[in-house]
Amino acid sequence: MGRKPQKNDSLPGSLDMLILRTLSRRDLHGYGIVQFIQQSSDNQLLVEEGSLYPALQRLELNGWIDGVWGMTSNNRRARIYKITAAGRKQLAVETRQYAKLTLAIARVMGGG
Amino acid sequence: MLRRLKYWMESARRSEVLREEIELHLEEKAAELQAEGMTPERARDEARRRFGNVGRKQEESREIWMTRFLSELGQDLRYGFRTMAANKAFSALAVLLLALGIGANTAIYSLMESILTRSLPVADPDSLVVLNWDSPPPFNARKEWVHVVHGVQGILWPGDKGNMVSGMFPYAAFETLREDNPAFSTLFGYFNGRNHTLSIHGQAASASAEYVTGDYFRGLEVSPAAGRLVNSEDDRAGAAPVAVISFVTSQNRFGGAPNAIGQSVLVNNIPFTVIGVAPPEFFGVDPAAAPDIYLPMHTNSLVDGSEAAHMYDNGNFYWIEMMGRLRPGVSIAQAQAALAPRFHQWVATTATTDGERAKLPKLILSPGSGGLGSLRRKYSKPLYVLLMMAGLILAITCANIANLQLARASARRREMAVRLSLGAGRLRVVRQLVTESVMLASLGGAFGVLFAIWGVRSLALLLSNGQENFARHVELNWNVLGVTAALSVVCGLLFGLAPAIQSTRPGVMSALKNDHGGGPRRRAQHALVVAQIAISFLILVAAGLFVRTLNKLESVQLGYARENILLFSLDARQAGHRDPEITTFYADLRKRFEAIPGVSSATLSQSAIINADHAGTSYRGPMKIGGVTIQGASVLVAGPRFLTTMQIPILAGREIDDRDQPGSTPVAVISERLARTYFGGENPVGGRITFVDEKRDLEIVGVSGNLQYGALKEESPMTVFTAVSQVSPEGMTFALRTAGDPLTYVKSVHEIARDADSRIPVTNVITQAAEIDRTINRELTFAKLCTGFAVLALLIASMGLYGTVSYNVAREVGEIGIRMALGAQRGAVVWMVLRRVLLLAGLGLAISVPVALSASHLVKSFLFETQPNDPETLVVAGVVLVCAAILAGYAPARRASRMDPLAALRHE
Repeated sequence: MGRKPQKNDSLPGSLDMLILRTLSRRDLHGYGIVQFIQQSSDNQLLVEEGSLYPALQRLELNGWIDGVWGMTSNNRRARIYKITAAGRKQLAVETRQYAKLTLAIARVMGGG
Repeated sequence: MLRRLKYWMESARRSEVLREEIELHLEEKAAELQAEGMTPERARDEARRRFGNVGRKQEESREIWMTRFLSELGQDLRYGFRTMAANKAFSALAVLLLALGIGANTAIYSLMESILTRSLPVADPDSLVVLNWDSPPPFNARKEWVHVVHGVQGILWPGDKGNMVSGMFPYAAFETLREDNPAFSTLFGYFNGRNHTLSIHGQAASASAEYVTGDYFRGLEVSPAAGRLVNSEDDRAGAAPVAVISFVTSQNRFGGAPNAIGQSVLVNNIPFTVIGVAPPEFFGVDPAAAPDIYLPMHTNSLVDGSEAAHMYDNGNFYWIEMMGRLRPGVSIAQAQAALAPRFHQWVATTATTDGERAKLPKLILSPGSGGLGSLRRKYSKPLYVLLMMAGLILAITCANIANLQLARASARRREMAVRLSLGAGRLRVVRQLVTESVMLASLGGAFGVLFAIWGVRSLALLLSNGQENFARHVELNWNVLGVTAALSVVCGLLFGLAPAIQSTRPGVMSALKNDHGGGPRRRAQHALVVAQIAISFLILVAAGLFVRTLNKLESVQLGYARENILLFSLDARQAGHRDPEITTFYADLRKRFEAIPGVSSATLSQSAIINADHAGTSYRGPMKIGGVTIQGASVLVAGPRFLTTMQIPILAGREIDDRDQPGSTPVAVISERLARTYFGGENPVGGRITFVDEKRDLEIVGVSGNLQYGALKEESPMTVFTAVSQVSPEGMTFALRTAGDPLTYVKSVHEIARDADSRIPVTNVITQAAEIDRTINRELTFAKLCTGFAVLALLIASMGLYGTVSYNVAREVGEIGIRMALGAQRGAVVWMVLRRVLLLAGLGLAISVPVALSASHLVKSFLFETQPNDPETLVVAGVVLVCAAILAGYAPARRASRMDPLAALRHE
């Protein structure tokens, strides 16, 4: 009966999913996540920076990611986020949902 | 949930972390923009602009934790209410049981808190120290008293190994310790003056007096509500007699503290001037008492007669009690080390024989923050026993509700499975269930507080045993309510957590398909039922022991009448009557009471035949018949028609009557056992008995039946009655033998007393039956409360058993159906169900009997002529329990046996 986690507005859950996906590749701090998403989408996806930190808090609260103090590449103290096992499961769920959704959209668009 | 709790606790640190994180983000962003060619300032601004409102984002991030928690809690609560409303019967029952359990615990704990642990309402109570002494047993091998303590005015109480402990000292000891005291900043003394007659504006009433030394109020650091308090100038022989009255007295008798100042009052007919009023919360140093009036120590020779003056000079008469206030930085141990040798040195000078020197009292200092320990000594053990019982009841209640929850959990198994499969976290579901339980418990706790408010009053009333002052400082406070709240939550967790974990156990997915519960839950249910039975047995045994004790006490042969006797006290001496007139005054009064229509006879005695508080004064020295010293006899100074009024048989000669006058031959009546022991077969009438210390020879004029004089619990002593008219009488207890309810004569008694002398208040009005019950108050209270507890425990345990058996029968419908279809008789089915009930009961008993055997020693001191593991009580308790179990199991068993086998099989 747990409430469904709050979805990001633009494309439902996309920010959470993107963060999880990013962290599933490597552990990163907040700014690193923004940059990684930007770079790996060839600057197509611009993360709204202000929404990042609430999203990180939400994910951590749900136990999907874990933040620990560490060092960034240029030796600054920062909170480095890791994905947890539960997070990986969630990522799988969201990926599946996302795949379904895109497929459905594609069908609609293709059929039109 | 734990994470969230942790978050809450760390929330300050957490927002700091968040701020640092965002700061870093902005810096990195700015650095990047700068690398792209912006000026440092523009880059910083741009980074900030792109991020949005930093403060708000921070806020939003924080709120994610908070609001989620709160909204989920709200959800859980709403859902909990819905569930509770949907199961009204279950919820009401659970709340009621919890209210009883939590309420009982709260009430008893509250009483303990207020009389055992609360500090005196004075400044810095922790630096107060009570002075006591401890000495080896005072009797020598021939049971003679050999000790430096030659006389006392107050209480001695037993210490370890038969030692004698007391807080009373000779006045000289007080003076010795007070001089240049290195440990105390003040040392002050006091003694309980007991009841005096306090006349204000011509209205006489009985008031409890406390005599205090000049430093008493200064040492306690109390400030007056009005006027000033007693100081060392007031406490000198010959000083003007002044008094401080309690706040309550000022309200009741003067209509307010300021009105009392400067007023003249009479204490035992001696004029005193009221100089001050004590603050409202102040009740002296003894939580068991609340003096109405505080008098300077040295005024006792004015009030109590000239003998009182000799108390100051006698180094072997123990009467003054002391408390000290430690100097800053001095510990109790240091104070003791400094003062004990000084006391030892002094007390050694008062010993006159080697026997006395061998067992000198030793000074002991104990913490005085809670005041004197009389209440603690008297009630701590009974209260611990009661608290234990109430705790056991609560444990049964929790076990029972856990059991009901388990049974309900099976009904909600599908619900849980659906929720879990829809993706609810297990923790989330457990939390939901626990929230429900804690809600139930809190509701129970809330009603429990209401129950406790009533309970505290009734308990205080029960235990106070008619002492008005007892319940004054007993009340619920925040400390107690806090404990109650904690208790409720703990209960909720106790009975909620296990079923919640059980019903969300991984693998419940099978529950979606199959409605039958698994083994572990059944085991858990059975364990809970066995626990309830085991605990019930303990409570039953305790109740049995206390009821048996009460029966034994009630069947004690009194030797005198219990019913239709009215008792009350009068003290003419306190109103100024003196010898020889006082004797005539009492004699006339007796005749007037006897003339009241409906009163068949009236009598008086110096000490009541039975007295709950303390025996009155009478001759305690050695007595001889011929040359032989009498062992184990007590003197009762009685007026005319005492034996007739009390319905004590006159076996030979006559009773004391109006013929016995001050000038005539001193007479005595002795009890049968005394006569038989010291006169053998001879007729004692006409014989002589000698009171050695008074150098009086009394003529024996009659023999009475044996009677239980004094307390019920002690062995009945041999009794010597002497005539009131032939001693110098003090206060008197009158007894009227009445037709019908004695209390209907109270009005006439008051009228006659007021008419005879309006300065004399009539006190301690009570029926003889009630007075006897007062002496066994603790046993009565225990028997009543424990019987109540036992009935409650039995009821709860039976309910639990009934529920479990019904549930099992419902689950085994199929099996029973098959058995019946295969030809099992109804009796066999009933037996099949009952066998399990008996097994559970047997298991409970097997656990409980050894526990009962060892635990019953805890209550040994509360029992009278009953052994702690009285076999009869154990057997009766066991039988009652098994009967209750069979009764609880029979209904479902019968239902099972009435089942239509075909219907049962189809059900499967």
